[in-house]
Parts: sequence; C-alpha cells; structure tokens
Amino acid sequence: MIELFTDPLILGLVLLGTILGITVGAVPGLTGTMLIALSLPLTFSMEPVAGLVLLVAMYVGAVSGGLISATLLRMPGTPAAVMTTLDGYPMATSGRPGRALGLGVGASLFGGLISWLALWQLSEPMADWSTKLGPFELFSLVVLALALLAGVGDSTRARGLLAGSLGVLVAMPGMHPATGELRWTLGMTSMNEGFRLIPVLIGMFAIGKILEDLTGKGGEVEKVSGKDSAWIPFGVWKKQLGNLFRSSGIGTLIGVLPGVGANIGSLAAYMAAKRASSKPEEFGKGSEEGIVASESANNATVGGALIPLIALGVPGSVIGAVLLGALIVHGLQPGPLLFRQNPEAVHAIIGTVLVANVMMFLVMLGCARWIAKLSLIPKKILFPLVAGCCIWGAYALNGLWFDVVVMLAFGVLGWRMETAKLPLAAFVIGFVLAPVAEENLCAGLMASGGSYLPLLTRPISLCFLITAAVLLLWKKKGSANKP
Amino acid sequence: MRPSTRFAFRLWASSALAGFVCLFGIGCGSNTEDEFPENEITVIVPFAAGGGSDVFVRIFQEAIRKNELCPHPIVVKNVSGAGGTIGSRAAREAKPDGHTILCLHDGIFTAQHYGNALWGPSDFEPIASTGRSGVVVAVSEDSPFESLDKLMEEAVRKPNQLVYGTNLGAPNHYSALFLQKGKPGAKFRFTQTGGGAKRLAQLKGGHVDLTGFSVAEYEQFKAAGIRALAVLSEEREPSFPDLPTAREQGVDAIHGLMQFWWAPKGTPPHRMAYLESLLREAMATESVQERLSNLHMDPVFQVGEPLRETIRQRSANLEGITIENKTPLPPLEWIVLSVVGVCSILVWREAKA
Repeated sequence: MIELFTDPLILGLVLLGTILGITVGAVPGLTGTMLIALSLPLTFSMEPVAGLVLLVAMYVGAVSGGLISATLLRMPGTPAAVMTTLDGYPMATSGRPGRALGLGVGASLFGGLISWLALWQLSEPMADWSTKLGPFELFSLVVLALALLAGVGDSTRARGLLAGSLGVLVAMPGMHPATGELRWTLGMTSMNEGFRLIPVLIGMFAIGKILEDLTGKGGEVEKVSGKDSAWIPFGVWKKQLGNLFRSSGIGTLIGVLPGVGANIGSLAAYMAAKRASSKPEEFGKGSEEGIVASESANNATVGGALIPLIALGVPGSVIGAVLLGALIVHGLQPGPLLFRQNPEAVHAIIGTVLVANVMMFLVMLGCARWIAKLSLIPKKILFPLVAGCCIWGAYALNGLWFDVVVMLAFGVLGWRMETAKLPLAAFVIGFVLAPVAEENLCAGLMASGGSYLPLLTRPISLCFLITAAVLLLWKKKGSANKP
Repeated sequence: MRPSTRFAFRLWASSALAGFVCLFGIGCGSNTEDEFPENEITVIVPFAAGGGSDVFVRIFQEAIRKNELCPHPIVVKNVSGAGGTIGSRAAREAKPDGHTILCLHDGIFTAQHYGNALWGPSDFEPIASTGRSGVVVAVSEDSPFESLDKLMEEAVRKPNQLVYGTNLGAPNHYSALFLQKGKPGAKFRFTQTGGGAKRLAQLKGGHVDLTGFSVAEYEQFKAAGIRALAVLSEEREPSFPDLPTAREQGVDAIHGLMQFWWAPKGTPPHRMAYLESLLREAMATESVQERLSNLHMDPVFQVGEPLRETIRQRSANLEGITIENKTPLPPLEWIVLSVVGVCSILVWREAKA
C-alpha cells in the first residue's frame, strides 16, 4: 500500500482530487456527487488505480469542504454539513472564525482516520453486520433519528418538531418510495420525483440567508470578523477526546448502512454529544463540542460507506454507487472477490482514504487564514456570486428549470421559517429522512404481509424504538426542570 | 481616445463584426442545405450519473469521441428521477431535429404499463438497440431451494408466502411477473428493495427469499453468498454455461434487459439514418465491444424492421401481465399532514403564551 503513495503522480492525483473536492464541497450548489460523476468519464482513459485514487480523494475532499461555507456563511456546501452550521456560524460571528474552522478541520481529520482504521481492519465483519439490518430495523433507526430532531438548535421542542414534520411533509409529493406510484404531483411530470434534495437544501440555507440579510433592517446584519488562529492547541483536543471517539464511531457505523449516510451520521453524533455534554445549553450557540461532533462524524461516514462497497460490492452512499460504476468500467469485479483478484485496487481505495484525509487537513489548515477572509468579501459581491452558483448548481443537476424554481421557492420558505424561529436543520433532516423511513416501513410491511409486529419482535428494531421513546420522554423531564 | 485604446476598440469591433457574420453565415447555410449534425448531439440518460445506464451511454460517447465518428461532440445529459419518466418526458418534448435523443432500456415499457407514464415506446422513433443483459433469479446460499422448479412448486403450493425483492414498477419487477405467469398458480409476495446492490444485502440478510439480478450483477455478487437458480433467457448465458434456463426447468418465462435509443417523434428520416449509422459504427469499435463484454452484455445490434418487431413483441408480452395482491399500506402522507397540524397548534399556543 505504501509503495503506491511514493509515486509522485498518484500523490499529485490525491492532492488534485482533494482540492477539487474541497472546492465543490464549499460552494453551495455544487456537490461531490456531481464532481465525481463528471470526472468519471475522464478516468476511463487512466490506469484503474489512478482513476480510483482520484475519485476517492474527491469524495473525502467534498465531505470536508462543506464546513467552510457552513461556518463562515451559514450555508452548508453539502448536506452533510447541515449540523455544522448550528455552532460553526455562531462561533464565527462571535469573532472566532479561525477557531471554528480549525476545530472543524481537525475533527474531520480525526473522523477520517477512525473510519480508515475500520475500513482497513474491520470491513468484513462490519459489512456482514450491515446486512442483518432489514427494512424494519432501518425504519426504527430513522424513527430514532427523528426523535433526536426535537432537540436540534436552540429553539423549543414544539418548534423543532414542527420544522421536522414540515420537512417530512414536503418530501411526500412525487413517486412513492416503496410502491413507485405517484402522489400529490398535481398532474405535473416535473413533480414525479418530488422536490430534490439539492434545490431544497441550497434554497433553504443559501437563498434564505441572502433574503434574510437583504431584508435585515438598517444593516443589522451579523458579521463574521476576527483574525484568530486556526491552530487548535493539543490541550483542547485532549478534552474533546471522548467526543471525538464517540462521534467518529457513530459516523462510521451509520455510514455502513445503505441509504442512510452522512446526514444521519452527523445528526446522531451531534445529539449524542449534546446529551453527554456538561454544557448542553451552549449547543446551537457556538459550542466547540457541537462542531467537533458534526465534523468528525460526517468524515467518518466516508470510510464507513466504503466498507460494504469493498467487502460486498454494495455501495453505502450515492458516491459509493458511482465508484462501483468506475470499478466495473475498468474491468474490475467489485464484490467479495475484489480483495483476492485485485488487491492493488482495494489497497488504493483504502490508502487514499488515509492520504486524502491528511492532505485535506494540511490544505485546509494551511489555507484557513485566507479561507476566513472569504467572509470579508462585501455582501454586494458575495451574494450575487453565491446566488449565481446556486442557480447554476440547481440547473446543472438535471438541466431542469423546475429545480431552479423549487430552489427559489424554498429560499422564500427558509427565510420565513428563520423569522418564525423554526430550525432549518430540523426541516432539512426531516426532508432527507422521510423517504428512507417510508421506503423501509412499506418494504417491511410488504414482506411481512401487512403485519407491524416485527417492529417489536426483532431485537435491534425494538432497541432503537425504546431508545427513541426514552429520548423523547427524558427530554421532557429535562426541560421541565429548567427554571 | 489614446491611440492604443482606439486600436483596441477597432480590434474589438471588427472581431465582433466577424463573429456576427460567421453566426449568420452558419445560420443561412444550415437553412439551405441540411447539414446534420450542426452542433452537439445530446443524449438524455433518464438515470443518475454513475449508474448502469449512465455508464453504458458514456461507453458509446467515449468510443465516438476517440474514433472521431462524429464531427460534433456527444453530450450526456442526466435527467434522472421517478424511474426514468422525467427524462423520457424531456426527450419526448425535445425538438425533433435529431440533436436530442434518449437512451432508455425496457423501463420505457414498464413505466407505461405500471401507470407511471402516459407515454411509451410508440411515442418515440426507435433508432437502435445496442445490447442485451440476461436476467437471473437468485436465492441465498443457505436457501432450501436447489432449483427453480422446486421453488415454483412451493410458490404454487403456498401462494403469497415466498418474499420476492424487486424494484416495483421497474423491469426487474416485471421479470418476476413473467416468472409468475410462466408457472400457472404461482404467486409471490412482492416487496420493495430498490437497486441491485440493495437486493443483494436483503437477500444475504435473509429479509427476502429470492430476487432477480442482471447477469453482470450476479457475476459481481455471487461470491457474497448467493446462488442463481435459473436464467430467464432463451438459451444459456455464455458466462454461466452450467446455469439452466427457466424453460429447461418447466417455467415458461423469458425476460431480459435491452438498451434502446430513441428519437422524438417527427425526427426527419435522413437524420434518423445518420444516428443509426453513428451507433452502428460505435458499436463496431473495439472499445465498445470490450466494455460490453466486461458488463456481460450480449452485443446485439438491431435497427429498422427487426428493431420494430422486437419492440412490438415486448409491448405484446406485457399485455398479458396484471398487477395484483398489493399489501395495504398506511396513508403516511395524511398522518404527516395531521402531525404538522398538531405541531402548528402547539407552536401557535407557545407563541401566544
């Protein structure tokens, strides 16, 4: 594995992929999936190993880059960075943008390394474990995640639930995720797929934020300023060690599950950190623990998502599916035989996760000083740029103007929700989880012939549901105790 | 005006003028004599980038570019979603000038049959079919069923008990429906499992009893602990000479996935002919042949009357299929709507307090 990364060409490709990934990750509207899909045909003419190295490096970079815009602009560049906006942005507006970036970058590296270890050493047992979770277990897991939503942000429980359930509602139109039948499309074919994630996400956060700042009275706009260092002393990390290990572990485990991915990974780690914290009241107001939990978990999902891809040939994420396509085009046979037949390809993938995470850390830390200056760009220049990227990104997704209209409409909704103090993060996560929950519940019911009983008789599913119930009730007591 | 500025202005103005002249020249030229293609040819892929269909089209795109088969580039446009219906509608509504075409497999038949699209194959001009994948039926390694006929007997004896993992409404679902039809009295219990990789996970985890894979998927997954019982082709697949067909086991079911290229209705015949020969040349290249064999695809190439006959036959086959025994599912959309209502009241009361 080591020899591969002494080749300057391979190292150059990792660096290139990481930087490109960070860039698309940071720009609201452009996503890692888009970058990797567009680069895939370019790798056809490369050596298989070189192509894989480039694509995996892009994946690592894209998940990491999202924290830049999430922290400095409160616009998550990727869905995985939604939870980072909650604490990264408040910390940046309170004059510590460097520290917020430094924490995010360091935590990303740690999460990446933990998931790399799991990918390297534990991929077979973990992949086997992942197949044990059937539709009922996945549904219960999503119920657990939705229960966690109630405590997101610094708003009240009712507001968190309303925002989350609105997100779920907005996910309803379109093709039924289980039966494939159409629902609430108003007879428009454009609505067959419902509202897509990227237009909704960038509309809510980026366009919503622009509208909010434009309509802010008399320039009372929050400003990100400060020239603090992004270098986080070792002592700070020592204090976060428990949080880092817990969040990276959660991220890796959830990343392994197909279709659940980085969003739930960072949500679950964030909420777990909030509950374990001695200062839960700081969450949502610039908590260091919050940034660390979200960012270590979302990078940990990368290694996690590659585990079933390498061990079984089952992609754990959308990007994993594209990588699977890349393997096949290069004549490699993904699946359990890959280890034996093409060990160099497996080593290239595993090695790149490690090297790209380290490069991501060096690049982002090295550039943090300049990255932080991003927020000093005057809004009259920045906003048209961001809006342009958003419109282009929404259109480029599928070449449909419908997506652009959807994005603008959700921009208005995001802006109104922000004024009504409904947490946007809860809305987006509800939106992401709804189809996963519905597909798995319905798939389970179809397999059981309509019986709900397996939800309670299957042990893992029961565990998730009990935890969800306990979390909701426990939270109630906690808030009642507040003065 | 300083001389240098004046020079720059003149340069700019003259190049702009030249540009306009060129534009007009090209515009006029194309009006008088039909030069096709005038610019890039866009292929709509109605699935996400990186998926099976996307990779398939990009193999052709690369071959056309490398061998300079077309003076203009081939552009792949992914218009994904809703089982391919969003992309197929975009292609149907595109200008029928040959510059926008669609590549879509049997999903174009099944989406119409399942009721998710009001349009189907007859709303397009078929250009060519360029490859066929066989379909296998597979069970988990520890399944008690060693052959398809034993499994089908069980499905007749105990109808609606064996759980079949499919992607409802997609061609994969229809493979199972053909299987059911091939053995009178047999009934499966269908459940939604999504794409090939998800079906593997569900089969391995014991959440479904059987499912279907393309031959390429099976080749890729078989070492994960699954076993094919039959292939639904007319003859045995060259990649798996030991795997019997369904017909050999007394189940009269034939199904496979064909890749078709379609142009919007009304595309002029000579442009159709150009596209046809472009695909024929691309198909003959070494790189396409090699990559299709990597994908375990049978490199069939059909145009003209044989192609029309294939399409007619596939439509006719679907006519005998009915969708039945659906499990009643909870009306989640209305449940969510009421939860939103309850939460709104809670928030409203909180805001008042």
